[in-house]
Amino acid sequence: MRVVLKALAATVALAIVTTALTAAWAHGPTRRKVQQQVTINAEPAKVWAAIGNFQDMGWLGLVAKTEGDKGNEIGATRRLTLKNGATVDEELYKYDAEKMSYSYRITAVDVKVLPVTNYSSTITVAPGADGKGSVVEWLGAFYRGFPNNDPPPELNDEAAIAAVTGLYHDGLEGLKAKIESGS
Amino acid sequence: MLRAWLAWVLLAASAAASAEEAFVTNQLSDDLTVVDLATSRALATIPIGGKPAGVAVAADGRFAYVASPDGKAISVIDAAARQVVGRIEVGGGPLGIAVAGDGATVYVADWYAAAVRVIDTRARAVVGSIAVGTSPSGLAVTPDGRQLLSADRDDDSVSVVDTASRTRIATIKVGTRPFGVTVDAEGRRAYTANVGSNDVSVIDIAGRSEIGRVETGLRPYAVALAQGHGFVTDQYDGTVSVFDLATLQPIKRISVGDYPEGIAATADGRRIIVANWESNTLSIIDAEALKVTGEIKVGDGPRAFGAFLRR
Repeated sequence: MRVVLKALAATVALAIVTTALTAAWAHGPTRRKVQQQVTINAEPAKVWAAIGNFQDMGWLGLVAKTEGDKGNEIGATRRLTLKNGATVDEELYKYDAEKMSYSYRITAVDVKVLPVTNYSSTITVAPGADGKGSVVEWLGAFYRGFPNNDPPPELNDEAAIAAVTGLYHDGLEGLKAKIESGS
Repeated sequence: MLRAWLAWVLLAASAAASAEEAFVTNQLSDDLTVVDLATSRALATIPIGGKPAGVAVAADGRFAYVASPDGKAISVIDAAARQVVGRIEVGGGPLGIAVAGDGATVYVADWYAAAVRVIDTRARAVVGSIAVGTSPSGLAVTPDGRQLLSADRDDDSVSVVDTASRTRIATIKVGTRPFGVTVDAEGRRAYTANVGSNDVSVIDIAGRSEIGRVETGLRPYAVALAQGHGFVTDQYDGTVSVFDLATLQPIKRISVGDYPEGIAATADGRRIIVANWESNTLSIIDAEALKVTGEIKVGDGPRAFGAFLRR
């Protein structure tokens, strides 16, 4: 029994290693999209000042630390260390200060932290519809966490959509509270 | 003289444009948009289900075949009636799809198995399976129908299959992670878009070898051919890379919508149609002027992976 368990553990460990090695390329069949937005009672320039620096994602409540290279240049990288100790590596691929928008990709994340692969994201600040305040839009595109067929429930398309939707919703509400309270 | 020339141009334009349509699979809205390429208008939306991605329109234009990886099935569409008239359960993860020139056989790549399923279109049933490489993606049949090419993404190679015996007769090494594969009208060359190495491999089909490599933008997805040029969708760059088919030199990058995927040339070779997954649009490119001349709204998450034009 013990031998069997050990063999099983070895197989599982091997499977995890294999998954880690191929995760950057293998992915499910359907790329998904998530879009969330929030209205903030502040000038777009003020909102952009809070989120426009790729090297500081401190506005997102669950981020403890941002470290990175190359500022806001295309190809700039950053590592987010979350309050629970997990890390997320990201790379900037579009940055337009005039349009108050930037786009980045996750280059490394554990699917236990965010159950997605091949993730890209765009965040944009625009003037509010009535000319007052701002609208922040956060878009994401990604495959589910499980690269093969018949995914387990915690790594299927629905789980990926729920996780990203929750992240964006909470992140944008937190940003709104932070800016509107003047902090 | 001018009037005669104008009349000729108008006639040629209307003749060339007559009845050509795009059958665009919208993976996220779970349907297919039929677009009239003469008027640039969406004519119909056909519900499909199962997250449709791959599509192949038969050469005679009667049927379109759509692969739904989540539904694990192929939908048969009566192209003129704009209706699903059949459904073929294939299992696995059907993605890439191609129909033989005579319309009798459809080939479906199973993304999760190293296999291509063979469908008899009259019986509307799977009648065979062909062993290929890992993660087969794009498929293309040579014009004579004798060979099937499969881009085996995770093997960095292309399988050449003898369609009569349904066996793999050759494996050709290409760039990293080939996804789409396109065979030219003469059946002489094939082109793969290599997602991993950001280039296109040029294959001499008879010689069973890669004879050239062309640099593209980031994450090339598929290739179309027209006017002596290759046109490649670059997913990450939002561009179409254009290269010269004779010299294999890059010519231009054309900005299209975000995350372009499926790409095809119209029958007259004058236009290139591109499906933009992120923007939910088609971009129309003038294949001679090498610029975008139009944009058409389609459903959510258009992929149009395969021969998606009905001529």
